[in-house]
Amino acid sequence: MKQQIRNFIFNELIFVAEPTKFSDDDNLIDSGLDSMGIMRLIMFLEEQFSVTLPDSEIDPDNIKSINTLEQWILLHKA
Amino acid sequence: MDIAAQSIMIKTHPLNPADYFTLAMDEEIRNENMPGSLCGFALELEQLPSIVTLKLRIAEFGERFPLVHTTLKQHGKRFFWSENSFNLPIYFEHVSENLIDQNTYHKDCILQLLNTKQPREEQPPITFHLIQSATKTTFLMRWMHPFCDARGADLILKYLCTDDIKKRLSFNPLEIEPLVDQQMAKYPWWQKISLFIKAKRYISQIDQLRSIIHADITLKPKKLNFQTYTLTLEQTQKIKILTRQYVGLTGTSLYYLGCFMRALHVMDSNQIGDAYCTPYVFNLRKNKALNPILGNHVAPLFAQAPKSLVTHRSALFQHLKQQNNNAIREKLDYAFLPAMKAASWLSLERYGNELRKSMGTNSERSSFWFSDIGSVELPNNQLLGSSINKVLHLCQITSPPALAFLSCQLNQQLSFSYNFIEPLFTPEWITALHKIMVEELLTNTT
Repeated sequence: MKQQIRNFIFNELIFVAEPTKFSDDDNLIDSGLDSMGIMRLIMFLEEQFSVTLPDSEIDPDNIKSINTLEQWILLHKA
Repeated sequence: MDIAAQSIMIKTHPLNPADYFTLAMDEEIRNENMPGSLCGFALELEQLPSIVTLKLRIAEFGERFPLVHTTLKQHGKRFFWSENSFNLPIYFEHVSENLIDQNTYHKDCILQLLNTKQPREEQPPITFHLIQSATKTTFLMRWMHPFCDARGADLILKYLCTDDIKKRLSFNPLEIEPLVDQQMAKYPWWQKISLFIKAKRYISQIDQLRSIIHADITLKPKKLNFQTYTLTLEQTQKIKILTRQYVGLTGTSLYYLGCFMRALHVMDSNQIGDAYCTPYVFNLRKNKALNPILGNHVAPLFAQAPKSLVTHRSALFQHLKQQNNNAIREKLDYAFLPAMKAASWLSLERYGNELRKSMGTNSERSSFWFSDIGSVELPNNQLLGSSINKVLHLCQITSPPALAFLSCQLNQQLSFSYNFIEPLFTPEWITALHKIMVEELLTNTT
């Protein structure tokens, strides 16, 4: 799951010179993930992992890193 | 690495489909006897930077990106950037000896540069201007929109502000396939047709409502004017909290857009029309990417809000957010790519007509133009050692709508540049509009 999220973020949304050095805990918002990007990311996650992510939970705590994104998805998959 | 060795020699360079999109607007503006789609970023500086270093930096940029030394030429139906034989200069200095009206001099100088009409084929695509007076220095970068989009212009400024040569080399001048074409290449032919039809349906739906235009269209456009306002740190912080409250993490620009629609409505609620409609662009570059710099790499979308919703603050933001979510969910952001590709074969007159006119009503589709550049992040916030105090954003606009609202953030403070065409709008009207806009941005009705 993490790899799929990573691929989408680095192929479509933000430029990172060396994605392999970007850890799963690094901050995505500080690295350039903007409001339009977050929207696209959520659409991708919902489609890819067949989950519905509530609007009320779209906050920095859930979006800030690849690890928090994974936890957020797993919470709704369960 | 030798910088000159990285240069690409060019004879002609074709325009990409998104460049044609802006070229059609250039033609529309020129047809109104105005200078075409000229844009500008002006930096107000703390002190005079080293002129020698600035000239060298600009010359280096021109060597690495030789498209800077071209002009636009038409061959048959198509347009190309072609090497110019005139050896046109791209760097200029403007000095005022007069100690009175320092501020007026700088603004007048910028306006004169943005309002000067030149034949398209004799105009350098980008020029740099150092404006000096006894107490003030402004650096203006003026460009023709088909040459680059706002993100590209931001990258050029970053290049000029980057002192480390190794970092400057990471701005890649090598020819990159336009992102519009790269994205299009991902679709099989049948999917391109499907997207094209989707774009047509999207526009037809938008055009069911007649757009509200505030410009006095009985008057002929004469000149571009602008007013830039910087909000305080405290105001900016409060707006950030309200933005999060009303539109969440996913719609910062939509908050400004919605507030602007409401401010216009307060200025004159009886204005004819059914809805506010504004185009905004979706950038195809990845965020923080340093390339591509030149060319336009965008796809258009529309934000539209019926008049009845504009009066209900929370409902308006909910509507704008839902509309944006739907656009992304239904992939409307990519729907215009095949349409832009096809339209680049139309005459500029026909293309302009398709872009501006609402099919149902034969009136202008855009109530105003809008762009949110976000946070301006220049290295150390300096140009060659001189701190940047303020950024002014400028763009010529078709009339109607004769009004553009451009926002950005510098030094943690929001900055709004209102560009307008006189006499269709007056400075007094814009001053009043801004006052209402600030009230709207700071309103908390919940």
